[in-house]
Amino acid sequence: MTVRPSHDEIRELLAAFALDAVDGDEAEAVELHVRDCPRCRAEVVDHREAAGALATGHEPAPVATWNTIVDELESAPPMRLAAVLPVPASRWRRSLRVAVAATAAACLAVLGVRVVQQEQRFDAVQAALEERTVLAAALAAHGSSDARQADLRSADGAVLAHAVLVPDGTGYLWTDGLPRAAAERTYQLWAIIGTERISAGVLGPSPGVAPFRFAGDVVGLAITEEVAGGVVASQNQPVASGLIVDA
Amino acid sequence: MGQCRDKPRQCERHGGAEPSLRRGGSEDRDVGRDDLRDASDAALVVAIGRWRHDALSEAFRRHSGAVFALARRVLNDAARAEEVVQEVFLRLWNAPERFDPGRGSLRSYLLAHAHGRAVDAVRSDSSRRRREDRDAVRVSVADYDLEREVGDVIVAEHVREAVATLAPGEREAIELAYFGGHTYRDVALILDQPEGTIKSRIRSGMIRLRQGLLDAGYAPS
Repeated sequence: MTVRPSHDEIRELLAAFALDAVDGDEAEAVELHVRDCPRCRAEVVDHREAAGALATGHEPAPVATWNTIVDELESAPPMRLAAVLPVPASRWRRSLRVAVAATAAACLAVLGVRVVQQEQRFDAVQAALEERTVLAAALAAHGSSDARQADLRSADGAVLAHAVLVPDGTGYLWTDGLPRAAAERTYQLWAIIGTERISAGVLGPSPGVAPFRFAGDVVGLAITEEVAGGVVASQNQPVASGLIVDA
Repeated sequence: MGQCRDKPRQCERHGGAEPSLRRGGSEDRDVGRDDLRDASDAALVVAIGRWRHDALSEAFRRHSGAVFALARRVLNDAARAEEVVQEVFLRLWNAPERFDPGRGSLRSYLLAHAHGRAVDAVRSDSSRRRREDRDAVRVSVADYDLEREVGDVIVAEHVREAVATLAPGEREAIELAYFGGHTYRDVALILDQPEGTIKSRIRSGMIRLRQGLLDAGYAPS
C-alpha cells in the first residue's frame, strides 16, 4: 500500500512540483493535496509566477505559428463548414432552388446550433470564472493577518471543511473530504453564537467553495445535512463543526 | 479570416466576422474590441469564451514570445517549440474555462501548460536523451547563464537582480529542473546530491527568487 505523504513532505515538494520536476505517484499526491489545501495551492501559484519571470522571451513566436493557429480556427466553427458546402456543378440548374433552400436551412440550423454552443460555452466560462473569483477571494481572506479560521471536523475527528472569517462579516467555507449529500438533501451552514445556532446559508449538496455572511460574536461553525432548500432551525446533529480561532 | 495572415494586432479582421453575443455582465467581463489591449486576463478569457478571434490574437500578442522562448529552451528545437505554442493557444481557444484567475496570471497559466508539454516531450524520448544529457548537462551547467534567457532590458534587470540573490546550488538545481526538464530525482543524480537536498534547494531558491522579484519591482508584461 502506498503511504500518503504528510503535509510537511508535500510542502517540501511544492516548488519542484510547480516546475514539473515531480512525477509518478508523488506528483499525483501533490496534485490531490493542493486541490484541497488553499495554502499549498497558493504556494504553487507563487512558484509558477516566479518561474514564469525566468521565461521572458526576447523575440516573438514565428509568424508561421500564428498562421497555423488561424488555419485551425477556420476549420473549426460549424457555420463556416456549412457555408462552403459545394453544390455539384452537373446538377446546378435543376437543383438550384432546392440547393439554395437546403443551404439556407442548413445555415440557419447550424447557426442555431452555433448560437446554442456559444451560449453554453459563454455560460461555462462565466460560471468557472465566478467560482474561481470566489476561490481567489477565499485565498486572499485566508492570507489576511486579521482573519480568523476554523477547521470543521466530524464526530470522529476528521477534518471535513475549513472556514475563514474576516472582520467585515464575510466568511468563506471550502470543503475538504465532505461527501456529496444524498439526493434531495443539502448541506446547511450554522453560525454558533452563545448557545444558539443561526443559519449562515444553504450550501447545496456539494459545496466546494462557498461565501457566507455572519454578524455578531460567532464562536463556532457547524454544518448539518437537511432537506433540499434548508430549514429555519435544525434538529439534526452536525456533520462537522469547529471552533473559530485566530489565524 | 483566411486571408488574414498578418501578425496579431496588425490585422483588425480577426474578430470582424465573428458573431457577438451580448449578455449581462460587469464592464470587466464585456469587452469592446478597442479595449482588448488593456483588458484584464479574465476579461480577455471571457472574450475568447465568446469565440472572439481578436481576443485570442491579443493573448498571442502578449504571451507567445515567452511561451515560445520557454518551449524552445526546454526542447532545444524551434520546430517542436512552435508546435507547443500552437497547442497552448488552441487549448486556450477550445477550453478557456480551464484558465483559473485564482491560480495566477494568464501568462503563468500559458507558460505552465507550455512547460508541461515541453517536459512531456523531453521525457517521452528520455531513454535516448538521458544518456546524452547526463554528460552534456555536466558541462553545460557550468557555462549556462540564467540571465541570458531574459531579453527585455527593464524586465531583464529586475530578473537579474532576483536571480543574483540565489545561492549557486539553488540556481543550479532550478535551472536543471525548469530548463532541463529533469525531475528533482534526476537532478539529484546529475549533481550527485541527496534527493532531499535538491528538493530543499529548489524550494528555498524559488522562495528567494520570488522575494527577489518583489524587491526588484518586477512586473510581468
